[in-house]
Amino acid sequence: MSHANRATEFNKDESKVNWHDKALWYVREKRDKSAHNVQGWEYLRQLGSGIKANVLSNLDEYLVQFESNAKSNGVQVHWASNAQEHNEIVSSILDRHNAKKVVKSKSMLTEECHLNPYLEAKGIEVVDTDLGERIVQLAEEPPSHIVLPAIHKTKEEVDELFQEHLGTKPSGGNPEYLVGEARKHLRDKFMKADAAITGVNFAVADTGGVVVCTNEGNADMGVHLSKVHIACMGIEKIIPKEKHLGVFLRLLARSATGQPITTYSSHFNKAEEGKEMHIVIVDNGRTEQLSREDFRASLHCIRCGACMNTCPIYRRSGGHSYDYTIPGPIGSILSPGKDLKKHSSLPFASTLCGSCSNVCPVKINIHEQLYKWRQVIVQEEKQPILKKSIMKTAGVVLSKPKLYKLAGKSARFALKYAPKFMIYNKLNAWGKARDLPEVKNDNFDDWYKKRNKNG
Amino acid sequence: MIGIKKEIKMGREAILKSIKKNKPELLPLPDINEEAFDESIDLIETFKSNIAIVGGTVREVDKETIDAEIKEQYPNKTNIISTTNKSILGTVQVDKSTDPHNLENIDLAIIEGDLGVSENGAIWVTANSSIIRVLPFITNDLVIILEKEKIHLHMLEAYDQIAQRDRNFGVFISGPSKTADIEQCLVVGAHGAMSLTVLLV
Repeated sequence: MSHANRATEFNKDESKVNWHDKALWYVREKRDKSAHNVQGWEYLRQLGSGIKANVLSNLDEYLVQFESNAKSNGVQVHWASNAQEHNEIVSSILDRHNAKKVVKSKSMLTEECHLNPYLEAKGIEVVDTDLGERIVQLAEEPPSHIVLPAIHKTKEEVDELFQEHLGTKPSGGNPEYLVGEARKHLRDKFMKADAAITGVNFAVADTGGVVVCTNEGNADMGVHLSKVHIACMGIEKIIPKEKHLGVFLRLLARSATGQPITTYSSHFNKAEEGKEMHIVIVDNGRTEQLSREDFRASLHCIRCGACMNTCPIYRRSGGHSYDYTIPGPIGSILSPGKDLKKHSSLPFASTLCGSCSNVCPVKINIHEQLYKWRQVIVQEEKQPILKKSIMKTAGVVLSKPKLYKLAGKSARFALKYAPKFMIYNKLNAWGKARDLPEVKNDNFDDWYKKRNKNG
Repeated sequence: MIGIKKEIKMGREAILKSIKKNKPELLPLPDINEEAFDESIDLIETFKSNIAIVGGTVREVDKETIDAEIKEQYPNKTNIISTTNKSILGTVQVDKSTDPHNLENIDLAIIEGDLGVSENGAIWVTANSSIIRVLPFITNDLVIILEKEKIHLHMLEAYDQIAQRDRNFGVFISGPSKTADIEQCLVVGAHGAMSLTVLLV
């Protein structure tokens, strides 16, 4: 199914779409306010981009340096080429500790690797502890946004889910009550957990430490209460020096939610005495993306979600319409590299307005990469006949001025006088759910010529 | 077990080899010109207003009135841990060997912060000052005592200050725990502390 088809599903509930659209735009506005408060914000973005570009050009060395520093702190480092290896490594660590109850804080990587079903099949209970993640886990859905995983759910839906799974009372969707109940429910899980799995926001080469950012405190509750901590990271999470956190932590939360920083920015360097800390470094297609000159900058991404919040398509189509772990504009340039056929409609889920690139804290040229993926896709993937023939015709018409003029005239004539069914039908995607513009008498060419004569 | 280890090693070599093959030519690591972020602002006032923005409470107090202030803010607390000699309100004693699970019912923790960051109201808290790592998270409410002179302009300055430390665990805390995961409604008090009071001395 294509993005457009899935977006049509999402658009069936108009009031929900309107809410979704506004809620995300509000987050985008908070981002603007917060960014404008920072002296030297644009320079900060420039630095973020420059540091990440250096990282990619020296990634192997930084990873080796990171590994050796982590090891000297007593941290055990593992490497996984793909999702399967990642899941096996995590599972073998849990086995060794006979861990049956695992609490997990937000990690898009473990989503990408489908770790939960893998562990659940082995009889291990995995509880997502970020509230939004817990909500979608109970609903048996994937997150629809990387920072706001349950943004597609109404509070009434959460109320019903909690009644069913946590035994809460009907509250009509009272957020305070529901958060309070979730706190109790998850506190019990933290107290009983054998192991904690977290993602990694930044891995620092020159110290061997990892930094995890949360607002809820769930990563810390999990890690500090269990005897083993497994931190899973993609290879691109490396930054060269600890001081660079001073750049990225200034960018991350402001771009994500407009907060000046997340509530907790936790720096894990060594395990607490008597406990273990593991880091799993994962490739899973990233080195392949690194080989693609036009697309490697997508690996700069620090997962703030700003491109989603600003995207006019994402806001009106919802994260699930992308059918990929990372939705939105950034997901649309990452996913074709993983499976061109499956995700071939995603680079077209954009107006190429460029807003994503404008807000990206590490200056990824997202809209240009979307355009470049389109060029790759039309070469390699079969396009719908209608689109292909229209494009061919358009090519001919645009190359011949006389024909173009005639086409323009007939279109204006048709829009003015043709019956509705001729304009608004399946052949005209632009007529779907929107009115075509009212036709004024002159076209630009005629108007310009007249103006010249008069002037 | 041996089999698994071998496989893990293959992952490492394969990844490093693939990066070597695919990475672009070396690009320089940019120098950071910190002057670009200079601002002549009142560090303490900005810090205080940012704490309020992130949902915390802040009071300027004398060293002698710390405990009076805490009692006023949190009058009905019984299970209190103080890890600093600046407050004698602690009722529960802990040391490094205390099982963190025993802290489940702690009402209030009083700890010291190492430094504050003006631009975002964050306070650097180390494992050494909280004694048990989970303390500032598991406690129902949290008081952090911070010396005014230790407030810095921005995060880059903060990292210079903490560069020479024993790296085990440390955290920047900015406000009480919170979530907006239900319809974007901000609710203070998720999994970590339900409230944060910062006492500037």
